[in-house]
Amino acid sequence: MYLARVEGTITSTVKHPSFGGWRLLICQPIDSAGTAFGCPVVAIDPHSAGMHEIVIVSTDGKAARRAVRDNRSPVRHMITGIVDPKAT
Amino acid sequence: MRLGKIIGRVTLSKNAPALDGARWLLVTPYNRDYFPETAHPGDRKITSEPSIVVYDNLGAGVGDTVGFIEGREAAAPFGDNVPIDAINGLLVDKIHYRPLP
Repeated sequence: MYLARVEGTITSTVKHPSFGGWRLLICQPIDSAGTAFGCPVVAIDPHSAGMHEIVIVSTDGKAARRAVRDNRSPVRHMITGIVDPKAT
Repeated sequence: MRLGKIIGRVTLSKNAPALDGARWLLVTPYNRDYFPETAHPGDRKITSEPSIVVYDNLGAGVGDTVGFIEGREAAAPFGDNVPIDAINGLLVDKIHYRPLP
């Protein structure tokens, strides 16, 4: 799991059925100082994070598959928490 | 899952038996330097990221933007011992991207 900043969203109609109904947010991995590094990733979002909020992204597919209730889903990245802005 | 633009197709003459009849796309992944706002940028730009061969069963074509998943999760839709580590998860319709500097 790593820190990331929500920097966008995508919409898609032709997709693996397990993505149906999920918010797909573009998350940019950031380091503790907040500077971006690496490629943006698209994560499913159960916590309705807002634009430019700092979130925690999990790369564990097992937990994501349980969230989408489809054991054959290729889903991987999932937002597991939103960082409290006061705490940084 | 990362986003990328399809820049080509790959046809195999010999492949592992588990991969028979598969459809392979060549994808250039987007990064912060090149992240177009439209799903069909229409230019022939390739990013500095290494291009990846991605398994596809959604029927994406050259020029489309797709979301592909890498790693062990990519083989989740298949049974065991299928050697696939990049799969096309979705075709992107719209992108809304507002990076902070």
